[in-house]
Amino acid sequence: MAVRWSKVAPQLALTPAVAVTAIAFAGAIGWTIFMSFTRSRRFPDYTINPDEWLRQYDRLAHNDAWATSLKNLIVLGVGSALAIVLGFILAAMVEREKRGEGFFRTVFLYPLAISLIVTGIVWRWMFNPALGIENFLHQLGWERASFNWLREPETAMYGIIIASIWHGLGFYMALMLAGLKSINGEIWSAARLDGVSFWRLYTEIIIPMMKFTFLTCAILLSLGVVKAYDIVVAMTNGGPGTSTWTPAYFAINAYATRGNIGFASAAAVIMLVITLVIFLPLVAVTAWQQRRREEAAG
Amino acid sequence: MSAPAAGSIASPVIGAGTRRRARRVRGSTIANIVFLSMCAAFVAVPFYVVFVTSFKTMDQIAAGDIFALPTTWTLEPWWKAWSEICAGMTCEGVKHGFFNSMKILFPSIVLSIGLSSVTGYALALWNVRWANSFLFILFMCAFVPFQIIMIPLVVLTAKMHIFGTVWAIAVVHAVLMMPLLTLIFRNFYKDIPRELINAAVMDSGSFWRIFAEIILPMSGNIMVVVLILVITNVWNDYLIGLTFGGMGTQPMTVILANTVITERGDVHYNIDMAAALLTAIPPLVVYFGLGKFFVRGITAGAIKG
Repeated sequence: MAVRWSKVAPQLALTPAVAVTAIAFAGAIGWTIFMSFTRSRRFPDYTINPDEWLRQYDRLAHNDAWATSLKNLIVLGVGSALAIVLGFILAAMVEREKRGEGFFRTVFLYPLAISLIVTGIVWRWMFNPALGIENFLHQLGWERASFNWLREPETAMYGIIIASIWHGLGFYMALMLAGLKSINGEIWSAARLDGVSFWRLYTEIIIPMMKFTFLTCAILLSLGVVKAYDIVVAMTNGGPGTSTWTPAYFAINAYATRGNIGFASAAAVIMLVITLVIFLPLVAVTAWQQRRREEAAG
Repeated sequence: MSAPAAGSIASPVIGAGTRRRARRVRGSTIANIVFLSMCAAFVAVPFYVVFVTSFKTMDQIAAGDIFALPTTWTLEPWWKAWSEICAGMTCEGVKHGFFNSMKILFPSIVLSIGLSSVTGYALALWNVRWANSFLFILFMCAFVPFQIIMIPLVVLTAKMHIFGTVWAIAVVHAVLMMPLLTLIFRNFYKDIPRELINAAVMDSGSFWRIFAEIILPMSGNIMVVVLILVITNVWNDYLIGLTFGGMGTQPMTVILANTVITERGDVHYNIDMAAALLTAIPPLVVYFGLGKFFVRGITAGAIKG
């Protein structure tokens, strides 16, 4: 009796999770993909016209704001990758400088506890042309200093990048610090005995050993960039014009503002495709690396 | 700055001791600290600026110099942000949002932790044949962009007649966090020795009794880690609250954004900054109170991913 019960109960307990996965993830993704082939406006319309089932994607391809969104995705990705680089440098320094590790980690990590909306509002204030940093620099006598980035289409994206780096820096530092700590202590002393220089130690030994950590950081960063929405709303609300739109912003806008489910679904499907394109090769490499590690260990 | 001397003292930690000695040049230590301090300033200064701005009078703010300390410290902006500031048509301050966020937080915690701890436990310790394939699917789900499931969830919650209530927001949070939290719980529970469970099954302990009497009492640490993850995620969320919340149920971040971003006419920066700080305080309290667990939470969430 007990044995049979022990077979049924776990399966029963897993039912809610399976149902959630099947309905809210698999089903919902399928629904959105289906919708992207229809002409649904504010309410779902379940008929597909076989002659123009790619209509929404065709509209996307000819949409300037969508092109801007995709371009911004790359700009934001490349720009915020600086957070990984800087995070590694900071982690390496904090690691060498044993004193103050707790202090520096606390300082670098606190922005992560703050929402992106608050982060955006904080940085909007810093970028305020009349009263913010620009004004401060002017008062110092540097009259030509321009820090009015958010009001210019060319520079607004850089403002968002700075705020994103501010928010995420400590996170990547914490991941890098964990990676550095997992490196065998003997490597450092062996390198010292062999007289390996500081630069070579890091570029030829430590960084290659931390490939796995860098990869994790890269995956998380790219996934975060694809999802970038809150920070855009809080800092520029997409403006000036559509210059700071991102795919996530575009999709929400198409749904909430323009009330066009079909169009929004098509944008969301492209977002999913981008996520898969980033994600699958990285997962494959990660799995391969882990296997190599296990082989080396065993 | 007298660190190099420490190298000559036998250090209990081999790695640390040898590295100290390896650093022959004193200048590099100083450069290290200078660079670290500069970066720390980049991270800390915005908070300082916002903090002092929230205590200034508008007259002083209009005079410029955002880095100056308030000439007269005033609590008025904080009071106005809490109870008078206008979000769109209503002028009730952010306190409304604060209570809404609280109302969202508790059901979210119960639903998401309840669902994912049981799922993690069943997958880790019981023989479920399809456990591995299910884990892989969960792993994929953890990375799906929210936009692709958002509209169908709106349709679903509307059909369930909970759209626009705090329950809709809580349910969506629980759904969205389920894959990641399940993976975290499962990774924690899988290290529990199998013999323990087998022995408990022999004693005719049922699935639920083992969970309640053996597993839950062992889960203190992981519960705190997950709790922090849930609290910060739910409190800091904007998009779910915006999409699934109704007029009276919007969380604090949405009210804050409506207040600050759509502001017209005379902008009261001091009140805005006070409102932003009020919204940031609860997760910051969690962060400074439970810092060690917070770090573990975010890295656990990340590395398992």
